[in-house]
This record gives sequence, structure tokens and C-alpha cells, in this order.
Amino acid sequence: MLKYIIRRIVQAVPMLIIISIICFTLMQLAPYDAVDVMTTPNMTKQTVALIKAKYGLDKPAYIQYFYWIKGILKGEFGYSIVTHQSIAKDLAARIPATIAVVLPAYITALLIAFILGLISGLKKDKWADKLIDGFCSAGISIPTFWLAMMIIFIFGYKLRLFPILGMHTIGMENSPADFFRHFIMPFTVLTIAFLPELVRYIRSSTISQLSLDYIVVQKAYGANSSQILYNHVLKNVLLPVVTIIGMALPMLVTGAFITETIFGWPGVGPYFVKAIQGFDYPVVMAVMLLSSGLVIIGNLLSDILYCVIDPRIREMR
Amino acid sequence: MNNKRNIIKTIAIIVTFLLMISGCANKSIKGKDTGKAKPDTFIYGIDGDPGNAVNVITTGDRYGLMEIKAVYSPLYMYNGANNIVYFLAESMTPSPDYLSYTAKLRKDVKWQDGQAFTADDVVFTYDQMLKESNGGWARGQLIFDGKPVKVEKIDDYTVKFTLPKISMNAIENLGNIFIMPKHIYEGETDIANSPKNAEPVGTGAYKLKEYKAGEYVKFEKNDNYFLGAPKIANVVFRIIGDANTANLALQSGEIDALAITPADVDKYKNNSKISIIPYDEGRVGYLAFNMTSKKVQNKDLRQGIAYALNRPEIINASYVSEKYSLPAYSFLPRKANFYTEDVDKHDFDTAKAKELLSKASANGIKLKLAYTANNVTQQKQAAVIQQDLKAAGVDVELSGVDGTALYQKLSKGQSDADMYLGGYIMGIDPDTFNSLFVTGDPSNFMHYSNPEVDKLFAQGRVEKDPAKRKSIYEQIQKIIIDDAAFYPITENKRILAIDSDIDGIKDAGLVPIYTFEDMSKLYFK
Repeated sequence: MLKYIIRRIVQAVPMLIIISIICFTLMQLAPYDAVDVMTTPNMTKQTVALIKAKYGLDKPAYIQYFYWIKGILKGEFGYSIVTHQSIAKDLAARIPATIAVVLPAYITALLIAFILGLISGLKKDKWADKLIDGFCSAGISIPTFWLAMMIIFIFGYKLRLFPILGMHTIGMENSPADFFRHFIMPFTVLTIAFLPELVRYIRSSTISQLSLDYIVVQKAYGANSSQILYNHVLKNVLLPVVTIIGMALPMLVTGAFITETIFGWPGVGPYFVKAIQGFDYPVVMAVMLLSSGLVIIGNLLSDILYCVIDPRIREMR
Repeated sequence: MNNKRNIIKTIAIIVTFLLMISGCANKSIKGKDTGKAKPDTFIYGIDGDPGNAVNVITTGDRYGLMEIKAVYSPLYMYNGANNIVYFLAESMTPSPDYLSYTAKLRKDVKWQDGQAFTADDVVFTYDQMLKESNGGWARGQLIFDGKPVKVEKIDDYTVKFTLPKISMNAIENLGNIFIMPKHIYEGETDIANSPKNAEPVGTGAYKLKEYKAGEYVKFEKNDNYFLGAPKIANVVFRIIGDANTANLALQSGEIDALAITPADVDKYKNNSKISIIPYDEGRVGYLAFNMTSKKVQNKDLRQGIAYALNRPEIINASYVSEKYSLPAYSFLPRKANFYTEDVDKHDFDTAKAKELLSKASANGIKLKLAYTANNVTQQKQAAVIQQDLKAAGVDVELSGVDGTALYQKLSKGQSDADMYLGGYIMGIDPDTFNSLFVTGDPSNFMHYSNPEVDKLFAQGRVEKDPAKRKSIYEQIQKIIIDDAAFYPITENKRILAIDSDIDGIKDAGLVPIYTFEDMSKLYFK
């Protein structure tokens, strides 16, 4: 098993390198120079040349690439063109805020989806299934921003149940109760947004398990449906869930762009959206690199987990 | 049987869970109507991030300047010939020959770190502003006919400004500059990017307390403020990117003030808790050409585009009514000295537009129009402009971008946009507008260059005879409009929606850019 895990890790490395090269190339193709961040129009040509030399920007592109990678490995993503602030610092301030809302929402969505998906799968084509499936269809087709606006309007504005803005009331940054009140609305929106696809995934997984031969065999042995469910189906439905959890890893950084922007939640979302509007290439690339890196790492993790849970996988290789 | 019980069990779990969520929410809500602590905090919603790196030399955007206004003080604010408000200076007196001006300073002013404020700080600030490598925003207005003003200390509380030549606009040009502490910034080589900018030390009514990227800038009152301690203990500029959310937050009382668009005014019609105060900023909203773009070099083409635009329609779409916006014809606002409407107004005329465009052999040309993406007003203007120009046979590609980024790119001549929407708030005297149009000035984002205009601006600045100045500036207005690189659209008001519980607005004074001239005068009823 260890051999398999090591092999998977080794396979992931070239992918990460290729992604970093793609990001770097795109940044080079952008019509701006990293040196623009550090210079003002009034500087003399000599000053600009000095700054370029200091940061290695006068060197050929492949050497600059190594400088860039070296910086990233040290946690240094460069500077924003628009605000001149360090991207690493900005991200360090924002990623925790994003995780604080995305992670609970995802876990909640997963738990609810598990229950609803199982019910729906077991009661295929019955009223319960139709109801849940109808909810999923509606959920998939409702745009998140619309849902967010409606929830703000009803619960924040009309009913005055929750505050509308941001993560804290000014002056109450250390109050967990205050955080919780700010947290409820974006959390709900995200949970509802994550839910439908997870439900459908678990539903179809349940249905395919139920159609397998071993169920027929169990039935022939006289096992009742709850025994079949708890002893066999549940475990086998859980298995593919490991895969989607791994895939969900990048969402911790990029999962809530629109929702965060609407709620003024100080996460990566508004930062990234603003960077795109402002053609702030270094920021856009840093977030892209981070999230694509997480996709690969997430896949790697789910592969490894899968192999730990289900030994057949590694024997197949 | 068993099966059914399981289902009931699961449903019970879900219901409990949901109840738990809503229960928690309800419990924490009770006893509090809104999410803010009143009445010692004034929260002003803004739609951009001012950043925490502000300094009086290079910061030039609205929110950065608002931050500066809270923390620093100028010698005096010039709001018109009969409306000078003194801050750090007690008086500013010209010599009989108008070649020098003497500022008497207040003696009771302390920096926020306890050091005494003296003439050294004033001299230091003006010297830094004049230093070319600093890229100071007011440098242009301190240069008279190619030579800088000389600033010297007479004694600890007297500063003398000596002009190289007489300038009738000197009193305005020398004012509105915020004074920085010499003891903090002395020896700093790169003021624009100095780490000291994150911890400003000023003489203003408020001290910067905390900046949270993307969230807010927090200020607390400066009890030693020389005009008396502020009445409200804390001021917060809260960053809200989404305009809909911001409006709801104001209505729900989470923020106390917000600049709103005319289209949003109706939302507050029946709301007695919010007062709507439109006020004049002397802002001119315009469409300008990026003259570094090869496509728009032809004057006939630019004039053709000007005739193709339906100004009243653009204004109606973006500002709803004349109550909030008047049409603009000159680069000057109406309250400016020597304003004239006697220019080619380029009144909407599609036939003439088509004729000029075909003369410029610009049929089927494609142009890119940049505007600030989260600015609803500009979004609407851009849409109407696109329609108008389509009728005249010009294809317009709209490109909504971040405002700060747009001007940064324009200032370096890197923008791929052929035209852009913008607006500015300058001064009273037409001379202060020269930085927008004079060849090579960092604020000349259009990269407009007309030697005739350069010459006239230089003349107007040193001309003593008001009648001659008038004719010079009228000529400039005619030439700039005729060149059609600059198409003025509207002179709009800013509409402040503010909590009715806040009083002292009149004393605080509504002024361009900063909103309040002196926030220390605001108080809760």
C-alpha cells in the first residue's frame, strides 16, 4: 500500500510543476510588467533598471520562473499591481475567513445530503424521492446570488433577524455570538448551494448499490431491508463519498466567491473578484495556482484514502 | 415496521438539527434590534478599499483622501474666494505686491504622538510635495511658469511662500495640502511605499486605530484635537462592494451613512430614519479618449463620436432627473471662475456624426470603452453610449474594470481602452484644472497634448488682469472642447443618505471628496 501511495505522490508532482509553468506563462503574456508595481512614472530610466536588476527581472524568463517558484515555496506570492500589498499577507488574512464559512457549510450539506440521498435512493420513484429530487432540481437551477439576495432581504432586512454585513459587528470582533449571527445567512446560502449535487450523488450511489447482485442474494437469504441497509449498503455508499470530499478541498479557497461578495464576507471571494475586475494579474494567478494546486492535492488525498478504505483498489494496480 | 421506525428516526434527527440552528439564531438575536453598538460609533459605508498605506503626498483616490482628512489637517481649506476655512494656519496674507504669502500658524497644535507642530513640518511637507521623484499629487499646482514656489520658515509659527511670478490663483494652489510630520518622515526616500504610511501620525480629529483589508478602517477620536475633541468617539469606514447589500445595510441600521445613486433615492422615500442630502461637489463626469491609442488620433472621428452621443439621454439614464445632475459642456464646473457655455456643445446629431465619421474613413470601426465596473451610474452611461454609437456605425466593446487599476494603467499609457468614462473634482480656479490637460502631467490620463492649450494655461496662471484671464480661459475651454478628446457629460451631485439621528452636519460642512470638512462636529441626537 505504501508503494502505491508513494507512486501517487510522485505522479502528482509533475502535474503541480506543469500548472505552475502554465500560470507563469500566462502571467508573462499579460501586458504588464511586474516592475510596474514598484515604479512610478516619474522615476528615471536608471532607477527602473536598478529595480529590475534587484528583483532579477532583467534575466531571461526561465530564470525568472525559478525566482518565482523559489518565492512561492517560501510563501511569497509577490505584490498586487493595484494595491501594492503583499499577496501572501492578503491571502493569509482572507483564507481563514473563507474556511470559516465554507467548511461548516460543506460538512452540514454533506450530512444532510447523506440522509436525504439515502432516503431518496431507498424510496426510488416514491413520493419521498420525488420530493427530494424536486428540491434538488430547484436547488441546482436557482442562482446562488439570487438566493443570497432573497435571504438577505427576508431575514436581514424585513425580519431583522440577522445582520447583513461582513463577519463581525464593528467593535465586537471577539464575540463568538456576534460571529454566529453574521455567520448564519451566508452559511445557509452555501449549504443550500452545495446540497443538491451531493444529494444526487448519494442517491445514485445508493440506487446502484441496491441493484447489485449481493442485495438479491441477501434478500434470498431472508434479510430484511433495514438489515441490508445498515450492514451492507451504507458502507458501500460511504465509499464514493470519500472521493467527493477530496475533490471539495479547493472549495476551501474558492468555494464561495459570489456569496462572500454579496454578504461582504472578508474572504478570498471579494478579493479575487476585485482582482479580476482590476486586471490584477499577480493576484489572479496566485489564487488560480493555489486552487489548481488544491485540486491535485485533493485528488491525491482521495485516491490515498480510497486505497486505505478499499484494499481492492491497490490490488488492481 | 423496523424500516418505518428508521425513517422516523432520521426525520427526527433532521428536524432537531434544523431546530437547533434556528433556536440558536433566535436566542442570540433577542434584546438587540440591529447589529451595531450605538451611539459612540459612526459607520460610513464606502464601496472601495482605501488601503492602509496612506500619505499626504501621493494618496489621491477618494477613500484614501477621506482617510487622510480624518487623520491629518491642512493649513486651510479653500472652498471659494469668500469661503476659506482655517485649520493649522490662523491666517494666510498676501504681500502688497502679491509675490509672497505669509501663513501664521496655530501654536496649540500637537501631533497625535505628542510632539509639537511647528513651521518645520510645513516647510518639510511642501518640499516633499515639490520633490519630483516623490510623484506628489499637488506638485503641478506649486510650480508657477516652470519655477517652484519657495517655502521658508520665518520663525516657529510663521511660514513664508515666495512665488517666482505673480499668480492670481496662488491662495487656492497653496491650500488644501495636508501637513505631514517631519519628525516621522524625515530621511524617508520612498514616501509612496514607506511602511510608515500604515501608521499615520497626524494632527486631525481622528487617529487611525485599525485597518482590516476588505473590511473596514477604524478611527478613534483625538482628544487633543486643536479645534476641540470630537463628539463621536469612533468613526468607521466600512467597505461594502455590493451596492444592493449596502443599501439594505443602511436601511437596517448596520451603517449610518452611504453615498447613494439617484435611482436608489426612491427606496428611502417613506423612511423617516434616513435623511437624503444631495450636495454639489463640482464634479464633472466625462467621456475621454485615450490619446495613446492609434485608432482615435483623427479629430474628425472624435468629433463625429461627440455628435453621435445623446447627452440628455445619457444623463437621464444614469441620474434620473436634473435634480441630481446638470448637463456639462465645458471641462469646468459651473461654480468655477470664468466658466463659459459658449463652446461647441456637440448637440446630438446623428447625420452630422455619420458625415464626420465617414470623412475620417472610420466606418465600421471598433472601439473599446472602459469604465469602473462596480459603478452603477457608469454602467448605465456606457450602455447608452454603446447604443448611440452603434446608430452612428461605431461598434463599441464595453470593458468594466476596477477604477484604481484603470487609472494606473492609463497613467502609464498601457491601457488598451480607446475611450474611458471618468469624473473629477478639482478646484474653483480654472488654473487648478491644468494638470488634467497640460502635456506630460501625471494627471493627464488622456495623454492629451495641444501646445496651444499648454501655452494658454501657462499664461493664465500668471496673468494679473481678470479680464485677460477670462478671455484666456474661455479660449482654453473652446479649444479643448473643439479637439473633442474630452467630452463632458454631466455635472452631478453627490447624494448622501444619512441616519436622521446624526446632527451637526451643517457645522461639519459637506465638501467635495471628503464628504465632511470637519467630522469632529458630528454628533448623535
